[in-house]
Amino acid sequence: MYASSETFVVIGGGQAGAWIARTLRAEGFDGRVVLIGEEPHWPYERPPLSKAFLQGVADAESVTLLGAAQAEAARIECWRGTRVVSIDRAERHVACVDGREIGYDKLFLATGGRVRTLPGLEGLRSARIHTLRTQADALRLRAALTAGSSLLVLGGGWIGLEVAATARGMGCAVTMLEAAPRLCARTMPGVVSDYLLRLHQSQGVTVLTGIGVTGLSEEESGVAATVDTGELLRADHALIGIGIVPNTSLAVACGLPVANGIVADVQSRTSDPDIFAAGDVASHPSGFAGVALRLESWANAQSQAIVAAKAALGRADRYDDIPWFWSDQYTANLQMLGLPDRGSEIVARGAPEKGSGCWLMLREDGTAAGAVAVNAPRELRTLRKMFADGRLPVLSAWADTTIPLQRLPTAPPVVGAGLA
Amino acid sequence: MPQWHDATAAVDVTEGEPLGCLVDGVPVALFRLGDTVFALHNVCSHGQARLSEGFVEADCVECPLHQGLVDIRTGEPRSAPITDPVRSYQTRLVGDRVEVSL
Repeated sequence: MYASSETFVVIGGGQAGAWIARTLRAEGFDGRVVLIGEEPHWPYERPPLSKAFLQGVADAESVTLLGAAQAEAARIECWRGTRVVSIDRAERHVACVDGREIGYDKLFLATGGRVRTLPGLEGLRSARIHTLRTQADALRLRAALTAGSSLLVLGGGWIGLEVAATARGMGCAVTMLEAAPRLCARTMPGVVSDYLLRLHQSQGVTVLTGIGVTGLSEEESGVAATVDTGELLRADHALIGIGIVPNTSLAVACGLPVANGIVADVQSRTSDPDIFAAGDVASHPSGFAGVALRLESWANAQSQAIVAAKAALGRADRYDDIPWFWSDQYTANLQMLGLPDRGSEIVARGAPEKGSGCWLMLREDGTAAGAVAVNAPRELRTLRKMFADGRLPVLSAWADTTIPLQRLPTAPPVVGAGLA
Repeated sequence: MPQWHDATAAVDVTEGEPLGCLVDGVPVALFRLGDTVFALHNVCSHGQARLSEGFVEADCVECPLHQGLVDIRTGEPRSAPITDPVRSYQTRLVGDRVEVSL
């Protein structure tokens, strides 16, 4: 059957899990590969769940990352719809909730995250109250977003903003509540929050910031949220989009170090040399940030997973990408590079605040913190290359759009860049 | 028999700058590598991105949305997240015009 007697087991059937399995084969591993996922679906990409898939213009097949035929061709065994309940590191085997067990030579933890619940409302179950993490969640929410209905979005982060944009496109009235004083406050500086606020207001979303939710309940024909000003807000449906919590319990239970996420090195290896972690659940050292990061992005899940698979096969690849992610809202494509909120100085090229341009964020010591591009992928890409080389554009030239991107003079690398 | 369709003037396709056009209603991205013009279907096989808005890196085009690489000469995927080939079309120069066989 297989030239190698080894078995590699991947726990988690999302973006990271699928890329681990696929990379093992692409790199020539010829042992058994078993991928265990909790969802009934074949591994798929999640970004469309808040956009094209939610709207119904992308179907399940178009978001599938590793389908039945591909899995069969690559000899990847997918155990779908089951969950690992324990890892025995001494015996090197895992057990599933349905009674299946399997021994491993290398193990990969790509268990992702689960949606965060509102404090005090953990047990809340209602047909009108939604969260969004899986295809099933998206289908349920899609059915709720009928034209003319109203949606209350709790949380002004990326998921909330994307769902708000999609819901507006589907003809729904949208009210957004954010407890922080501004949108995306956890990861973005004020200029970006201000832009997002105006963008959504201009599209007819009622955005209320600095408002906490103290209660949420289903009524006869809708939902009602009590907010900390004492007001009661009603809508047909509500979406809770307040982030995810990494699924670290399996790692904790088998004694692997966890700090925010499962602690992994630049090769995605945990403290156990035969166990790797990748994707939303893993924390990794970032040369760019100078600290360990746990990122919840598509690019991170994919790239970290590829390195994990290669490392398990003895390759020397390292994962040290500069953080990068994007968001599509209405007709705006936003791309984020690095850690924009760590900047103290911001220099714009073009007019990102008006929907076309790119902000460059600098740290106090003059090194790169990050960048945010609004409908300006070329600008962001130029900076990505420069950051990777430890360089920055000369700021006066960056701000001058008469100087073409290809001819931007760069400032010499700053000593210590990226290690601050 | 290949069916040749006029696409554009050869001088319009410059090194390092992909050109998007419709050829008999089909979206096509044209690339110049040296003396040769190559044609790929203009929609990335991964997302809904136009490769003509991508970035040329050596013999590859980088998708503007997700940074996947596609071989300009063959349409073969060269890096994640692209796993399926992008359709590649034959081209020829007729006088000062580029023609594409769909």
